[in-house]
Amino acid sequence: MKRPLLWLLFLAVAALAAGGYWWLKNRPAPGPYPGMGGDFTLESAQGPVSLSDFRGKVVALYFGYTSCPDVCPTSLGALAAALRGLTPEELAQVQPIFVSVDPERDTPQKLAEYARYFHPSLIGLTGPLPKLKEITRRYGAYFRKAPVAGSLGYAVDHSSVIYLIDRRGVLVDMIQHSDSPQVIRARLRKVLGETQSGAS
Amino acid sequence: MKFWLSLVLMTLTLPALAGTAADDIRISDPRVREMPPTVKTSAGFLTMTNQGRVDHALVGAESPWCGHVELHTHIHDNGVMRMRPVEKMPVPAGGVTRLQPGGLHLMLMQLKRPLHAGERMPITLIFEDGSRKTIEAPVRRFDQMSGMKMPMMHHEMAMPMGGKH
Repeated sequence: MKRPLLWLLFLAVAALAAGGYWWLKNRPAPGPYPGMGGDFTLESAQGPVSLSDFRGKVVALYFGYTSCPDVCPTSLGALAAALRGLTPEELAQVQPIFVSVDPERDTPQKLAEYARYFHPSLIGLTGPLPKLKEITRRYGAYFRKAPVAGSLGYAVDHSSVIYLIDRRGVLVDMIQHSDSPQVIRARLRKVLGETQSGAS
Repeated sequence: MKFWLSLVLMTLTLPALAGTAADDIRISDPRVREMPPTVKTSAGFLTMTNQGRVDHALVGAESPWCGHVELHTHIHDNGVMRMRPVEKMPVPAGGVTRLQPGGLHLMLMQLKRPLHAGERMPITLIFEDGSRKTIEAPVRRFDQMSGMKMPMMHHEMAMPMGGKH
């Protein structure tokens, strides 16, 4: 008579154990920014690209837009200068990514050409606005379309941070806008070194 | 007839004697950012030194190489960059106003063709008294822009248009 109850109890315990195991296996890897970052898939001129495509490499990620005349070129220029100072071996282990948060004006084709101008290994990605909102929220990046006077129509207010993601796909560093190529390179090298042997 | 002609000449030369903004303001280190060929906007930077005894202000600019030039600044708000047009860029008497990366800049819009490093872009600056000064700003690649390493803010002199953001 008590059998069904026992079975139910057993099933509940089993479900809990399975759930716990699943959580342990799939929980976000611990990093200095718990709960932030994570995988995403966006469009490049060559088709969809996911952050997880670059597991084993250190990713330098930047959010901006191409009609940004000053802040974005300054940051991407600094990143490009930092990359140029790496050895070919180091460079082969780094994937720089530019994500446009202005899909209305920036097509993947336009982005490909834009990115190539700064560095041959920089790739340009974008996607639908809701998806970009969701991704930037996870990275703590800010962007908002702001109507402005004049013939520009709108500007995009945005934060300007280079996110460093280690070989496991974990967000490990945020480099502020005013940092020099030397600082960017040193921090890139730190992440390259940190995960050299630790990658599984 | 002679009277009118002399009157016209007088009105033309009078501002010169009084010292127009264009006379008082010395422009140094002009430069324009080369951009990837697909991009139709760029930014121009320069330093304005007011050698006169009255305050002046830059109120506009134009160039035959682009459709529009606007005066813009960046407001740094807790890590967020907000680019906004400004009505004018004041240059106080004896003072210096710098347009540089991360702050005040000339927003060059609707470029008629891509800019290439090494070219010299003609830009006419328009001041508060209507006086004008045409300069040639060399086009520079991102790695030749001075001030790139320290894009610090210099927007305190500009007044954002349209009030609150």
